[in-house]
Amino acid sequence: MTSPVWKIHRNGLFWLLVAFAGVIVLHADHLPSWILLAASVATIWRIQLYRSAWRPPSRLIKTGLLGLCLAGLVVEYGSPVGLEPMVALLVSAYLLKLLEMHHRRDAYLVVFLAFFITALDALFDQSIGNTLYIIGCLSLVLAALLGLHGSDADGGQLRPLGKAMAIMAQALPLMLLLFIFMPRLGALWSVPMQQQSAKTGVTDTMSPGDFSRLGRSGELAFRVSFEGAIPSQQNLYWRGLVLAEFDGRTWSRSPLSRFQDSGLVQWYGEPPKSWDQLIERKGEPLTFSVVIEPTQQRWLYALDTPKPDSEGVGLTRDYRLISAYPLRSKKQYRVNSWPEHRLEPQGLAPQHRTVYLQLPEEFNPRTRELASRWRKTVSDDLELVSRVLTLYSSEFVYTLQPPLLGKHSVDEFLFDSQRGFCEHFAGSFVFFMRAAGIPARVVAGYQGGERHPDDYLVVRQYDAHAWAEIWLEGRGWIRVDPTAVVAPQRIEQDLQSVLGSETDFLADSPVSLVRFRHIGWLNQLRLQIESLNYNWALWVLGYDQIQTAFLRNLLGDNSLWRIALALTGVGGGLLLLLGFWILLPRRSERSRNQLDREFLRLCQKLEKAGFPRQVGEGPRDYAQRVAESKPEVARELIDVTRMYETMRYAGETPDARTLARTIRSLRINRSG
Amino acid sequence: MRQVVDKLVTSIGRVLIGKDEQIRLAITCLFAGGHLLIEDMPGMGKTTLAQGLAAVLGLSYNRVQFTSDLLPADILGISVYDRNRGQFEFHPGPVFSQLLLADEINRTTPKTQSALLEAMAEGQVTVEGETRPLPHPFFVIATQNPLTQSGTYPLPESQLDRFLMRIELGYPDPRSERALLSGVNPRSRLAEIKTLLPAKQLLQIQQHVADVKVAENLVDYLQRLVQFTRDDPVFYYGLSPRGALAALQCARAWALIHGRQYVIPEDIQAVFPAVAGHRLRGAGECANHDGDVLASLVLNSVDIL
Repeated sequence: MTSPVWKIHRNGLFWLLVAFAGVIVLHADHLPSWILLAASVATIWRIQLYRSAWRPPSRLIKTGLLGLCLAGLVVEYGSPVGLEPMVALLVSAYLLKLLEMHHRRDAYLVVFLAFFITALDALFDQSIGNTLYIIGCLSLVLAALLGLHGSDADGGQLRPLGKAMAIMAQALPLMLLLFIFMPRLGALWSVPMQQQSAKTGVTDTMSPGDFSRLGRSGELAFRVSFEGAIPSQQNLYWRGLVLAEFDGRTWSRSPLSRFQDSGLVQWYGEPPKSWDQLIERKGEPLTFSVVIEPTQQRWLYALDTPKPDSEGVGLTRDYRLISAYPLRSKKQYRVNSWPEHRLEPQGLAPQHRTVYLQLPEEFNPRTRELASRWRKTVSDDLELVSRVLTLYSSEFVYTLQPPLLGKHSVDEFLFDSQRGFCEHFAGSFVFFMRAAGIPARVVAGYQGGERHPDDYLVVRQYDAHAWAEIWLEGRGWIRVDPTAVVAPQRIEQDLQSVLGSETDFLADSPVSLVRFRHIGWLNQLRLQIESLNYNWALWVLGYDQIQTAFLRNLLGDNSLWRIALALTGVGGGLLLLLGFWILLPRRSERSRNQLDREFLRLCQKLEKAGFPRQVGEGPRDYAQRVAESKPEVARELIDVTRMYETMRYAGETPDARTLARTIRSLRINRSG
Repeated sequence: MRQVVDKLVTSIGRVLIGKDEQIRLAITCLFAGGHLLIEDMPGMGKTTLAQGLAAVLGLSYNRVQFTSDLLPADILGISVYDRNRGQFEFHPGPVFSQLLLADEINRTTPKTQSALLEAMAEGQVTVEGETRPLPHPFFVIATQNPLTQSGTYPLPESQLDRFLMRIELGYPDPRSERALLSGVNPRSRLAEIKTLLPAKQLLQIQQHVADVKVAENLVDYLQRLVQFTRDDPVFYYGLSPRGALAALQCARAWALIHGRQYVIPEDIQAVFPAVAGHRLRGAGECANHDGDVLASLVLNSVDIL
């Protein structure tokens, strides 16, 4: 007798393929398109295999397919490090395994892979819609697992799905429990994200073209809720980065160590650093909290001049906010900002002055020459500033499609092309100021944001902006935005009002609903989805903060070793429970023996009534025999035997007490 | 499941009157994926049962009448030289079918009997050095006359062990016999039997049999039964581990066709005579006892608890 070759049955295969499709669609937005094609081929092949129309792939073909997939991944991603290549690798393994299901265990492997790949999607997107989709996808995979266990004879094509939904519903309480008690340990490991992070968001360097690239994206950057009214649009300068180094083409962040001060970051809750007294804060602060999307970077955005009001957020020496860890997931932080302020009005330390006046020698001779010429003709710095701004307002054009610039980019922009985006204006302005001997720096961040009817602000990637800060004796650092002179609507309204007609605007987000905001009902829908997502994020993140506080109350403070201790305790406890669980069968074995004792008691009872059980007589036969002679107790007798049988042999939880009670209540007269 | 089996039983019961229990055992044997040996006197309906089973299961079916001059090649097939094509061509024998009815298997020589051995054990045959797979599923239903009949070669123990079950039909009870005598010959109804369980579904049921739950103490019980056959001097030799495995497998199938997902002691008891009967031989004063008698002796000596 040979063991039959395992063949998946129709319903099992059906759900396996439905789950497969679900998982692929879930990941479709970050998978290379050839994998989607390969997935459809695998599906068709699998169906043909089931119909015995095609042959399973031979060893040679399998090796070839594997090689093709690996080659495709190498061509697509280059390096294997990173989340996306890894997910793509898993997905290709998943679809190849689908063709190689020869045994039941292969089908299990396929299902477990599907579970894992589904869960991985949460690393990419945690919005409410995606979360619901992941849950739906999990139900499908669960249905596939259930389908494998059923057979076509069970009937009901939809039965596995119904059961899967029921199981998911049952798992919900556990999920909530884990949500409440599982500590969030985000920074213990890091997931290198590729491509996506590189595609969006402000970076810590600024070359011509960087910000116009952001103008092509409608993706969310962050959302802000104000306690009180939202300030007017032209005051919404979300300061994120200070770029002070210039190498002739690219502006980049200067390392904090260049400041040579002690204590360059003042973390929330720490006593003020020595440089804190350089900040003069006046009037009432604005209070707001920001929910920022993951950027994989540490810098945060705030209005001038900020003071953090959240754990893990610090103020740097150049007056911007940073996070203690890179933002691998959404983060919420609270800030107090003083719109009325003066920064270092008394004087700039010499080493800082050097940093903010640094210029590469060999670039842009025409600008340098013009700067030193104008320097001599004006009496004070402010007059020079207004003269440069007047120059901008006369001829210059603000556009998303500036011409390419050569080696002397500032020269070419100022004297030849005179067309540019915010980075051109900010960069050239700072260059001009430095050439004229005024300390200046480029600031990168976002400007403006969309007011949601629910009274919060939505800032998107196309709101990215760069402007300048200059230092004037007696007034300290002040903000100058040359773009505001060239294109005042950009600052007073938003980018769309200026450039909405340009083809490059939102070119990377072809289906973004922002694009259709002039269509009334679509815009309404967009705002509602937006609001739902924000509240979801607020709820989840808000919960994290409550939980952090709760853990702090419980454990004193959140030092790592305490958390580790708590985790070890919880883990140990779980292991202990597992141990009990393993020991449990022995206990149930004991109660099984108890069942047998009760059955023997029943036998004694029947023996007294004149019906001894014969050697080797099974309970059912015995009950039947007695019942034939004693029809008045037949029903009870057969019932109690059935009870014993199911507890003893069918693997139901043994309940010796109920059995004992039932047996005791049985009254049998001696047959006479 | 129960209804399916009941339908099968009624359907076969129309051609083999009054033998429902034996029909059930035969179905159990096929569900458990084993080969069946039917032993009785001539004219008791052995062949009818085999044909009825083949018909309801819709399996491709071949019948071989075993005679003393039957050769292995008559069962397995033979290579014949094809003059036109100039090469040998294999002509598959009757064994290449899903259900092989080996009628009166003990009328043929041991040489031919053992030709069936490989086919039954491995699901493949080797002819002229080339191994050829048999169809799937592959069942052998063999009938044999009691050894006391003249002109028989007793099957060797090794071959008996290949049969999962041996059943005896016995004389019909008076009422069934009356029905048989007063009506038309039920064998003529064989042609009316329709396929009730396609081969595909049969394969699935075979898979389900493995999922039927057996409680620990039932395994203990079975082990005690087997140990008894090995220890007690009544037996010439005891049950092999394969025999014990066969009893467990059949008990599972028996439980399944009675609509249960778990085995109870009565299941083991119901299939035990059929599974153990042909694997046991009495010693001493029991040497001439029939296998069924020996099996009942075991069941009546070992308690279930």
